[in-house]
Amino acid sequence: MAAVAAEPTLVKKNYLTALREALIEEMRRNDQMICQGEDIGMLGGAFGVTEGLLEEFGSTRVIDAPIAEAAIIGTAVGMALNGKTVMAEMQFIDFISCGFDQIVNMMATYHYRTAGEVNLPVVVRGPAGGYGGGALYHSQMNEAWFCHSPGLRVVVPSTPYDAKGLLKAALRDGNPCIFFEIKELYRKNEIAEVLPDEDYIVPLGQAVVRKEGTDITFVSYGQSVYHCMSAAAELEKLGVSAEVIDIRTLVPLDEETIYKSLAKTNRVVVVNEAPMTCGFAGEIVARIANNAFNLLDAPPARVTRLDTPVPWVKPLELHVLPSVEKIVRVALQTAKY
Amino acid sequence: MSVIPTTGTAAFEPLAETAESISDSRPSQLLTKEDCLEIFNQLYLARYFDIRLIKEKKRGRLRGTLYSSHNQEAILVGALFGLKSTDWISPIHRDMPAFFLKDSKFQWDDPTRSGMSIEEVCAQVWGKVGSPGRARDNWSHIGSKSKRIIHSTSMLAGTIPVAAGVVYADRMNGGDAVVLTFNGEGSTAQGIFHEAVNFAAVHKLPVVTIVENNQWAYGTPVHLGCPTPDVADRAHGYGIPGLVADGQDVFDVYDKVMAAVEHARSGKGPSIVECKTFRAYGHGDHDDDRAMKYRPSDQIEAGRTRDPIAICRQSLIERGFLSGAEAEQYIAERKSASEATNDDFPPAVVDYLNRGIEFALNSPLPDAEEGAMWVFKENA
Repeated sequence: MAAVAAEPTLVKKNYLTALREALIEEMRRNDQMICQGEDIGMLGGAFGVTEGLLEEFGSTRVIDAPIAEAAIIGTAVGMALNGKTVMAEMQFIDFISCGFDQIVNMMATYHYRTAGEVNLPVVVRGPAGGYGGGALYHSQMNEAWFCHSPGLRVVVPSTPYDAKGLLKAALRDGNPCIFFEIKELYRKNEIAEVLPDEDYIVPLGQAVVRKEGTDITFVSYGQSVYHCMSAAAELEKLGVSAEVIDIRTLVPLDEETIYKSLAKTNRVVVVNEAPMTCGFAGEIVARIANNAFNLLDAPPARVTRLDTPVPWVKPLELHVLPSVEKIVRVALQTAKY
Repeated sequence: MSVIPTTGTAAFEPLAETAESISDSRPSQLLTKEDCLEIFNQLYLARYFDIRLIKEKKRGRLRGTLYSSHNQEAILVGALFGLKSTDWISPIHRDMPAFFLKDSKFQWDDPTRSGMSIEEVCAQVWGKVGSPGRARDNWSHIGSKSKRIIHSTSMLAGTIPVAAGVVYADRMNGGDAVVLTFNGEGSTAQGIFHEAVNFAAVHKLPVVTIVENNQWAYGTPVHLGCPTPDVADRAHGYGIPGLVADGQDVFDVYDKVMAAVEHARSGKGPSIVECKTFRAYGHGDHDDDRAMKYRPSDQIEAGRTRDPIAICRQSLIERGFLSGAEAEQYIAERKSASEATNDDFPPAVVDYLNRGIEFALNSPLPDAEEGAMWVFKENA
């Protein structure tokens, strides 16, 4: 808006602002784009990700939806079938289960069923993850459900830069996408960063090495990336050099970056905050075992949530979720194997 | 739509007010003799399609389950006849003839019409590559974006929100398209039915929900799925019209659906049109024998006495559009697949199907590798 822009803006932006900028810029760039979700208009979203959208784009393109996740997804499919790009917000990603059939049976399969005639640019996004005392229904990481449904992109950004670039990429990708935002990162000042003034995307399917190391590889995504970084700092003091990979997108998965790291470290710990059984950490371990067994000097390990719901009060919650201490412990076992 | 509504309003305001009450109009009285004879022929076509597929399966030339539309043809023909080419539909498993009946008025063979060709539909039934979906999902799970037919899944009522989204987008583009969604009475108990009709009612979207109440949801009678006397009563909860049509009378279906369509097109919002009918056979042909047991025989007999072809014939005679030998030329009503022969149907109908089946039999199976294709739109 401001005409004066001679100096580059060096304001650090948080994860939530990055997401909001992505939505606003994509809405400006694509007049065929619609946003809908519960309380996203007049309120600006429960967390404020959609603040300002209704005022700028009007209620035809920014829909305050009824509390009806299946209809939010299903109508988004119809809008996309008829040429629109749709962002559908789940107020908490936990609530996505109410729209499950429309996601896995209607949306995910549409391109397949029609032999490519129809593609659906729909991004279903919402706040996810634990460590905030949100209890059973405001803490989930249920990404594995959607990785297990062919036809969906699954994205979990961990930084403001990635949040903005990946959301833009997902909205332009043309395939339906489930986009997990880490709500504990929304307003975390420590990770705020200066974002480019110009338009950019972060391509789907490209992992990034957050920290280089030589002795052991952490593979992670979302909030767990920071736990791995803290664990790596602890390990450094103990003489163990850890590399930290943030996969950023689960589907498609950049396996090459993982194997490249393993060729150097020969040891791996996969960390995420979803339950262990049939979780995506297990999938990564399985692929490593299948495709890179010869690179391993130790059994691939994983640190995940216990196979429990996420309880409410702090000691219980921290007991079931991965901790830095536990990651360090497992990493040391793996390093010494 | 010229004005973006202000904060806190539904996205679309009514386009126009219509004076007359929704259920009073009788547009079928304005249909010409040619229109009425076309409707009659379309009933034969829908019936023959069904009977012919049953025969083909008995001959061993067809795999898969058949979901017969026998005795329910008036709903398909009556609902589709008055649509515009720009309108959308979402048929379900028992509505297979809808795919080729859509936009077929006087132009069954026009390749540019907004409906599928008989060749495409037969290729789908036979699971051949000539199917619009290249035979990737079975039976009625086909559609076409360009022909404005929404692809269903097996989760019935699941297409209603998709239909609502389609016309939301159309209204945004300034269009006046209406969408007809077809549902059984059973699927109106689904949560998504409520969510979708509610959304359509909030935004006054042109969604006409046709409920084919054939009394049986697989093996469960309607009174165990719906607590109100009429399924159409569900409309009261949304403040929208709920109409009841005689599903055996093609002209009554036409009247009620057209009233709902005009209501929708004028921006006044969605409706539910319940068409009362009776499922002639089992849920699918795998269920034919058991359906004879779980359904009382007197109910089956009563349910099939009012054959839609016979009722249409009688209307045409009364209006002077059919007379004498002409009226008695092709007697297809009240005949099962084993009783009916090609002589019971107009030759144009038989020829039309023959062409479709010929195409399907000659169309190849898809290459096995296609099973792994089109999971994602590839952008690379």
